[in-house]
Amino acid sequence: MHECNAKDLRDFLNLYLVEKLQAEGRGFPDDFGDSCDLLLSGVIDSLGLVELMTALQERCGREIDFDALDPEQMTKVGPLCDFVADQMERFPSSEKLAISGGSLLV
Amino acid sequence: MQLSATQPGNRESQTKVPNRSDQCLWTGFLRSAERFHGRPAVIVDGKTLSYDALRGLACRIAATIQSHTYDAQAPLTAVFAYRSPVAFAGVLGSLLAGHGYVPLNRTFPVHRTQVMLERSECQSMVVDMGSLPQLDQLLPCIRRPLLIVLPDLEDPSRLRQQWPMHVFVSSRDLVPMNLWRQPSVDPDAIAYLLFTSGSTGIPKGVMVAHRNAAAFLEYMVDRYGVTEADRLSQMFDMTFDLSVFDMFVAWEAGACVCCPSQKTLIKPSAFVEEMGLTIWFSVPSTAMFMKQLGMLKPGRFSSLRWSLFCGEPLPVSSATAWLQAAPNSTLENLYGPTELTIACSLYRWDPLRSPAECERGIVPIGYPYPDMDVLVVDEALNEVEPGQQGELLMNGPQMCLGYWKDPDKTAAAFVIPAGKNEIYYRTGDLVRRPVGKAPLTHLGRTDFQVKVLGHRVELGEIEAIVRDASGLEGVVAVGWPETAGGYGGVEVVLEGAPRDAAILRRSIASRLPEYMVPRRFHFMDRLPRNVNGKFDRPAIKGLLDRGLCTSATRRT
Repeated sequence: MHECNAKDLRDFLNLYLVEKLQAEGRGFPDDFGDSCDLLLSGVIDSLGLVELMTALQERCGREIDFDALDPEQMTKVGPLCDFVADQMERFPSSEKLAISGGSLLV
Repeated sequence: MQLSATQPGNRESQTKVPNRSDQCLWTGFLRSAERFHGRPAVIVDGKTLSYDALRGLACRIAATIQSHTYDAQAPLTAVFAYRSPVAFAGVLGSLLAGHGYVPLNRTFPVHRTQVMLERSECQSMVVDMGSLPQLDQLLPCIRRPLLIVLPDLEDPSRLRQQWPMHVFVSSRDLVPMNLWRQPSVDPDAIAYLLFTSGSTGIPKGVMVAHRNAAAFLEYMVDRYGVTEADRLSQMFDMTFDLSVFDMFVAWEAGACVCCPSQKTLIKPSAFVEEMGLTIWFSVPSTAMFMKQLGMLKPGRFSSLRWSLFCGEPLPVSSATAWLQAAPNSTLENLYGPTELTIACSLYRWDPLRSPAECERGIVPIGYPYPDMDVLVVDEALNEVEPGQQGELLMNGPQMCLGYWKDPDKTAAAFVIPAGKNEIYYRTGDLVRRPVGKAPLTHLGRTDFQVKVLGHRVELGEIEAIVRDASGLEGVVAVGWPETAGGYGGVEVVLEGAPRDAAILRRSIASRLPEYMVPRRFHFMDRLPRNVNGKFDRPAIKGLLDRGLCTSATRRT
């Protein structure tokens, strides 16, 4: 299992987005800043967000309960990484998470 | 046999028209405004507008349009506004001016908005503050003078200076409500003109008449027993015709329509609870996303009494997961192309009976609305036997007027099948003709239209634009990746030497909405062809499925 503190998650997210944009033949910045809104800046669409969240869960090796994440913050790099790191710290065992069913995407 | 049906008058004699000559899209709103003055009509952008407030703003917009436009030949007003009070007041204001409305969307590329605005020949446009940056990009491309109404902008001096050709009316200059004149009702006039993806590269304008919309609303309000106590979701953008349900079903009954922000659209779970929604209406993809992100917790959406889905095939798995979260609601799957006015068939989910009625893991599209007729035909438009597959044709009071200024496309899609003497619309959807009382089941498309997250996408339109942008002739677009009910996006395979994908993408993204922009470009020396020499789409799709195209992707 990978380290899942906020910094590691930022690095992971950065790499994930760069690879995604490269594969799509799109340009990308050197670093997606904490306040970068991935949805409003057009980096990802709604399906892209679900894929990204799925990738984050795979990275962390378990499901994350995104339900508590504020919709206005969930598409911003900093708040998203902080949220996931916080969830990992507060609920180190996945049994403690309230997870509703469903397999992961696509 | 085909018949041109561009003139509303032609159609009048061809379809069953109920006696609703007093009805049009806006009469229900005015009736509710008379009864429910202070009750909420819309909650949007953190603001609640009562029926009085919404009527006041809409009437001032309408009076402004009436006082500035003289050309009776320009019966349409564009609404360039997004999830704001002005968006709702703009739609109503256009209608109350006696015009049809043409919804525009600032999340679309400016070029596409320009095409819609020019093709519709609108001479007036209502714009909200949030769309001003896009307006500045749009106006250099517009050659006709426009009346531009800005109901939430106080000072338009900068715009007046910069664009002297156009007339700008700010919030301070709106014409008073008492000068508004209620327009005469023509049930055959266009209520809204909605552009959908067109296979030849240019969006098609679907003309929906007041009587089409009135027939739809009457059935829906009655079926769902909507009252002033109801709260409806507004998940659909106004450029998606399903938004007409949200607004006008609510207003017909004095209910409130609750409009989430662009971001809340992706994660609407808390929104359902906070707003106390009673009627939910979205594309199935939204339910699928919510399920995947763990938001469909059992019993969570206890306020919902109706859960409605439309726009793309509804997977059984999404329906059952949703019902666990909304156990007090009845779930219905609606079906309908824009040309048949929002929705024209539906299926009520029954936990006991339904699983046996589903095909391919997809919920049936059910039964036509009471006044709509169904015909399932083969390629020669002859009716197929019960139990056989064929293209779905429909007619009835919800069949639209045809395509705006496009008699050829209208004639191709609105036809009189052999042995019939009425015009039917060819949906292009493949269904099974029911045996006995079985529901209609949706089996796919007969053409190259796909659903991307509920949006209707003609692959031919994307191919035309990619051909133009790349200079390559061999271009095949395919829906990819496949999701339970449609596709997550579109990918393109090109025949020829690789082009710079970044430049290609930029050029295409400036002309198509995000959901239509190919996610990846793959270049091959030669595309697979079938025995007729046509591109072998299944084979190309197979290459993508097996990941064999990826190596050909041009990386920047």
